[in-house]
Amino acid sequence: MTTQAYFRPRSLAEALGLLDEHGPAMLVMAGGTLAMPLINKGVSRPEKVMGLRQAGLDYVRPVDGGVYIGAAAPLSRVRAESGVPLLAEAVKNVAGWAVQNIATAGGNLFAPPPAGDLAVALLALDAQVKLASLKRGERLVPLAEFFTGFLTNCLDPDELLVEIQVPKPAGKSVLLKYGRLYTNTPAIVSVAVRVVTENGRAKDVRIALSAVGPHPFRARQAEAALTGSSLDSSAIAAAASAAAAECEPHTDPIASAEYRRRMTGVFVQRALAQVAA
Amino acid sequence: MASKIVTFTLNGRETEVMVKPLTTLAKALREKLGFTATKCGCYEGNCGSCTVIVNGEPVLSCILPVEEVEGQNVLTLEGITPAEGLHPLQQAFHENFAIQCGFCSPGMLMVSKALLDKNPHPTQAEVAEAISGNLCRCTGYDPIIAAVLQVAAGSNGNQGGSHE
Amino acid sequence: MSDQALNTVGKSELRRDGLSHVTGKTQYVDDIQFPDMLYLKMVRSPLHHARILGIDFSEAEKVPGFVRAFTYKDVPKNLYTILCLIGVGPDEEPVLAEKEVLYKGEQIAAVVAQSEEAAIEAAARVKVDLEELPAVFDVEEALKPGAPILKPWGTNYFVYEGHHCRRVRYGNIEQGFAQADYIVEGCYEPKPIEHAPLETTGCIAKPEANGRITVYTNTQALYFSMDNTALILNVPFNKLHFVGGTVGGGFGGKVDVIVEPIAALAAMHTGHPVKYLYTREEEFHVSSTRVAYRIYFKDGVSKDGHIVARQVTSYADSGAYNRHTPYAVTKHAANISGPYDIPNVHIDAHCVYTNRVPTSAMRGFGVTSASFATELQIDKIARKLGMDPFEIRLINAYRNGDMRPYQKVVGDATLVEVIQAAAGMAHHPLSERFQAMNSWDRANSPARPEPVSAEKRS
Ligand SMILES: Cc1cc2nc3c(=O)[nH]c(=O)nc-3n(C[C@H](O)[C@H](O)[C@H](O)COP(=O)(O)OP(=O)(O)OC[C@H]3O[C@@H](n4cnc5c(N)ncnc54)[C@H](O)[C@@H]3O)c2cc1C
Ligand code: FES
Ligand code: FES
Repeated sequence: MTTQAYFRPRSLAEALGLLDEHGPAMLVMAGGTLAMPLINKGVSRPEKVMGLRQAGLDYVRPVDGGVYIGAAAPLSRVRAESGVPLLAEAVKNVAGWAVQNIATAGGNLFAPPPAGDLAVALLALDAQVKLASLKRGERLVPLAEFFTGFLTNCLDPDELLVEIQVPKPAGKSVLLKYGRLYTNTPAIVSVAVRVVTENGRAKDVRIALSAVGPHPFRARQAEAALTGSSLDSSAIAAAASAAAAECEPHTDPIASAEYRRRMTGVFVQRALAQVAA
Repeated sequence: MASKIVTFTLNGRETEVMVKPLTTLAKALREKLGFTATKCGCYEGNCGSCTVIVNGEPVLSCILPVEEVEGQNVLTLEGITPAEGLHPLQQAFHENFAIQCGFCSPGMLMVSKALLDKNPHPTQAEVAEAISGNLCRCTGYDPIIAAVLQVAAGSNGNQGGSHE
Repeated sequence: MSDQALNTVGKSELRRDGLSHVTGKTQYVDDIQFPDMLYLKMVRSPLHHARILGIDFSEAEKVPGFVRAFTYKDVPKNLYTILCLIGVGPDEEPVLAEKEVLYKGEQIAAVVAQSEEAAIEAAARVKVDLEELPAVFDVEEALKPGAPILKPWGTNYFVYEGHHCRRVRYGNIEQGFAQADYIVEGCYEPKPIEHAPLETTGCIAKPEANGRITVYTNTQALYFSMDNTALILNVPFNKLHFVGGTVGGGFGGKVDVIVEPIAALAAMHTGHPVKYLYTREEEFHVSSTRVAYRIYFKDGVSKDGHIVARQVTSYADSGAYNRHTPYAVTKHAANISGPYDIPNVHIDAHCVYTNRVPTSAMRGFGVTSASFATELQIDKIARKLGMDPFEIRLINAYRNGDMRPYQKVVGDATLVEVIQAAAGMAHHPLSERFQAMNSWDRANSPARPEPVSAEKRS
């Protein structure tokens, strides 16, 4: 282990200060479920590491029907305390119990595909993320704009992700994760949908996908295909095929790109059918 | 590479261990303290064999820096094994053939213990979900689930011998 | 069967090692520690097929804690084949690669250091100069003219007593096909499978004061490992003391002899205990898998459901080296006619080398894949003939007294009774005629087509 120092800041201010002081030589780690395996294997050999567990970012604070989640909140706490069923369902689908106890909500936004099962729910819920740096203070970014590519995002090197803000969810939402097993399984595709209806017509549609692109994303064409419809089966089929067309799946040991694309259509269809029911 | 001393409660006893930065709890337990009941099948968070209980919650000791358990309560399989006889879960695992090679057993036992502490009467589905992060390549899981359910039912009377 | 009282049959006995497992007191290799222990990490080929032009340890040697590196030049008898102990040859796998690497992950050089971290880092800093060569990954491609040749004897197949494949000949295949009403063909491809034991493969070799080496290992084949290690190190067997039997899952994946020879060599040279334990990644990438096969069937079938002729051409992917695959292929060839009495059988089972990770034993050893294929094939025949899958099996099932294609008379047949019992458990109705069949005679079976004359069934 070439790591020279492991910092455990006691507050956000201390964490931001340490990051500012040590710069990119410092690896930020929350739950460590992504970072530690790489360090154990010697693939990643950070000189300095900062753990966020003590930095006061492990809260889950329900507010006005929505919830504010500290970036370092363990997934199990999100599952138990967020009060948002879609989030509980999302966490239920992540790994096993012990991982849920250590992995964090913030960390899930940095997880490469096929991970991102909390992120997909957060996208469907119009979550925003709060980013902070010592020198430039805080900014709020819609989660959909946070992701910029495979393993890239809009976080600046001197910034930390500090909070995830979820507004009170309107409408009806459903999350479906399809993997090769029932639990503790990497996604072939994860789908989160939320539909607000008015006079029997879909007014506001969110269709978010994970594991079928470089990062979790909203399937905008599928959303457009459904918006204004009466959630009839042909509109749902059109949205499903739009989602299958616009996703950018990859092949890995879990599934081929082709299979992922087909399952994207199938599971978007099923999720929307559940919303319509 | 400054080593430092981490202090925590291990199986009810105040314990100190001197570690380099980012040493995992698993390595500290196994290599520094000699508590080898906790197994490591992957060192990457995937198999669950290193599961221990920290403050009542199952965690993976192979990816948890030991510094994170400073001042906390760590329970390993050594800690649930009575001086004489067996913990009911151990007995039930033995009797139900929930062990074959035994490598996953310490992790399985700890996650099962954490479950029953929180939920003394789980359903079969709840047991299955609780152990879903723990891989077993030998048993096919059914005997493990049966063992946990047997303890939950409090019917620990089977003394081995013939099975129907 | 006698009615004598049975003591254990029909009862479950608690495991002898159960108490030790549930208390965590069982000691696996990774649980053993010695204060002066060194750690071995392997420098592996990043390419599937390449010529080794040079190895440079200069950067690795600078890593604090580095102790020593080993190449093939340090290994007394570098070429071996595990089954040499039962007469299989020639030796063809290097302990450490010499001039060439034949699969991605192949062992090139071992690095030993005072800590695991230092060993990882030093191994990562070894520079291997490789010239990539064309690779072949498909068993049939590997046998075509022009395929890259992997073996010094100039072909990509194991030689069975002078033949390019393991052959079984029984009856007269041409006459059998001529007799048949239908020809049913099929191709089946059981895949390679990783055993994924929870405990990864590994050992610790410890030099003793009396000059012996104690090897704590999780091998499934203790004496095979010891004898091969002794041959590789060119030491008398009694210089080695192998301690094992505690295996954290094997399933056939721990019968190869990969870690022990090199760890023992490193222990001999350094005077320290040396630990060589696969990482989970190594277990997946470089430990042998189950053998993959491509199996072509051509069966001649009579209208009433008798398989009268079976021709099988099977290709086993041995990967880059033998390991246990030549032996698995022999068992495969013997079993590919299935538990069925087929009067005319012609089998060519090839053991083929490719640039894949070597394959080896796994639960069933060539037989599982044969059963998989024969049972799919007989279902296919049943569908073609519109017959019940249980009934077609009962018609073809071997009986006591039948001759197997490999020239053994059946004396312990129970297949008919097993199928009848299975049908019962599956609530699958069988007509009275099929209920009345047994393994001792062919009463109630449709008459079989006249067999080919006896002298031709050599
Ligand atoms: C066995 C196993 C199964 C898994 N299964 C799933 C699954 O089913 N679904 C799924 O979605 N994921 C899965 N994961 C992936 C992943 O562990 C989780 O998604 C988890 O949420 C990651 O969070 P973490 O806190 O552990 O990340 P860490 O390892 O702590 O963080 C990884 C990286 O993200 C960055 N980072 C994290 N937090 C911050 C922050 N607040 N500010 C700035 N940068 C930060 C840092 O660069 C850090 O190095 C699995 C992981 C494992 C080990
Ligand atoms: S060793 Fe910790 S999860 Fe496998
Ligand atoms: S008993 Fe062997 S892995 Fe579970």
